[in-house]
Amino acid sequence: MNHLIYEIDQVSHEYKGKGRTKGKVKANDNISFDIPAGEILGVLGPNGAGKSTLIKQMVGLLKPTAGEVRFDGMNIAQQTKRAATLVAYYAQEPHAISALKVHEALSFTGRLRGVPKAEAERQANELLEQFEMGSFRDKLLKQLSGGQKRMIGIGTVLIGHSPVLILDEPTNELDPRNRRLVWDLINQRNREGATVILVTHNVLEAEQVVHRVAVINHGKLLAIDSVAKLKQQVDPRLKFELLTSIGKRDEMEAILARFGTALVLAENRLLLLADKRDASELLDFITTHPELPILEYSIKPSSLEDVYFHIDNAAQSEVIGV
Amino acid sequence: MKTAAQAELQSIHHASVLTGPARFRTELSILFRIQFAIVRDSWVWIVLMATMFPLTTLLFMRFFVENPTRETMIQMIAGNMIFGLLVMGLNAMAQEISWQKHDGHFTFYASLPISKLNFVIAILLRGLMSTLPSFALLSIIGQWMYDIQFHFSWALPLVAILSLASVVGIGVCMGFWSPNHQLTNMLAQALMMLITFLSPVMVQLDQLPLPVQWISYLLPTTYAAEALRGALLTGWTHDVMVNCIVLLGFAIVSITATLKLVQWRITR
Repeated sequence: MNHLIYEIDQVSHEYKGKGRTKGKVKANDNISFDIPAGEILGVLGPNGAGKSTLIKQMVGLLKPTAGEVRFDGMNIAQQTKRAATLVAYYAQEPHAISALKVHEALSFTGRLRGVPKAEAERQANELLEQFEMGSFRDKLLKQLSGGQKRMIGIGTVLIGHSPVLILDEPTNELDPRNRRLVWDLINQRNREGATVILVTHNVLEAEQVVHRVAVINHGKLLAIDSVAKLKQQVDPRLKFELLTSIGKRDEMEAILARFGTALVLAENRLLLLADKRDASELLDFITTHPELPILEYSIKPSSLEDVYFHIDNAAQSEVIGV
Repeated sequence: MKTAAQAELQSIHHASVLTGPARFRTELSILFRIQFAIVRDSWVWIVLMATMFPLTTLLFMRFFVENPTRETMIQMIAGNMIFGLLVMGLNAMAQEISWQKHDGHFTFYASLPISKLNFVIAILLRGLMSTLPSFALLSIIGQWMYDIQFHFSWALPLVAILSLASVVGIGVCMGFWSPNHQLTNMLAQALMMLITFLSPVMVQLDQLPLPVQWISYLLPTTYAAEALRGALLTGWTHDVMVNCIVLLGFAIVSITATLKLVQWRITR
């Protein structure tokens, strides 16, 4: 078995509520899971789910009110400086260093991680080249656009080659090219041996990089498993997405009803959920009847997004007793 | 025994990492340079803000007081130098740090392997950098405006540094304590005005009502103004020394309190 970098052991955090939420509020509740070395773990959940609380506990910035976070086999509270040396954490845009020049922001962060000056400057230049931001080297960080600042923020995590990277919403505000670049860099660092913990809303993109997913909502860990295994929990039916001619949706719904359940997505858009054994027959029917008012069709497997909604809906039903 | 992965975790990092005194020096110098960049970024406003209020008061007093004695003139100049110190060291520092605290700036520092003490020292140095220009400027303008000459001695820089450190210490402390930004804003501004005009900064201690005198003993500005007046009039005296010791005490207490208030990494 791989060496465990993190062991989250029955971790909870309560705080005193204010206003209408007086009394004790649980930010997270009895969460347990492990993260082996070399893994990319995606942490998914809506806003206010308790993800950031968990991450702050994992980097030693917040003490659990119950349970223990073990980093490399030892309670993180007993070794926060060592953890800060080994774990690079990106929470938001680097406001704290926005008065610095771009290359200073990177190399200073590297040096604060303990990297010698020459090496920190070399790594800063390398990152700027990778980001294609070499021409911004001497600009003040605060003069950059939101997306550019975020890239430099990600650079402050990558500099120093920490063995553990924790990134909170790394691709927010980034254009598609930079989003791809960030996922590529995360993959590259992982191949070099880094363990990566990714907090993200971008479920579809995260699917391309994560090995396992932890779904968190209402402060609880709802599921943690590989993407493939989680997908097996979702509705096993295949999804046919159909674009019909305007005004022909009802007609198509009636014709295709025998193949499965049709859901209306929009005025001229249908989603047909069909059993796998009926899928080939349905496909034959569509392809051999060109007179049908179908403009376009596609077959979609379950995505991580479906997994996320499936788990979250199941948890909601449990909460309200449905 | 360490597993291969544990050994790898150690070796990946420690291969190229500074340790010991070299690391301490680097940490402090980098943190200082970050704080210096913040001051460099807005130095015009810093000097304007810190000089405008006390300079206006100094001008007003110049027109208001007829034929002042040398002691009165030095009292007014020293009082306004302390006022400038309160504008930046207490009011602006408290508000700025409070805003940065609630905006999550300090998470960046706390998640790096740096010591809290170095971080607090760097913040205090920023406070000193923000207050020193107006402090010096007001002393030059004051001398010129009232056409007097201060008594320059080695006591003056010592008194200046201790005065700056004690007031900046309280401003920094308030910023890190801040339960919310609005409250800190109001409190910092109210304190700045109350301390300046209702404690022995512009006037002598015995000119104030007795309850106000008692409260004044709790404020570093009382000792800073007293020490500054003494140093500017006659240089190093026993009274200046006593005031300097009290100011040193205030600086140590405020730094200790700041270290307690800064939310850093958790401890066991």
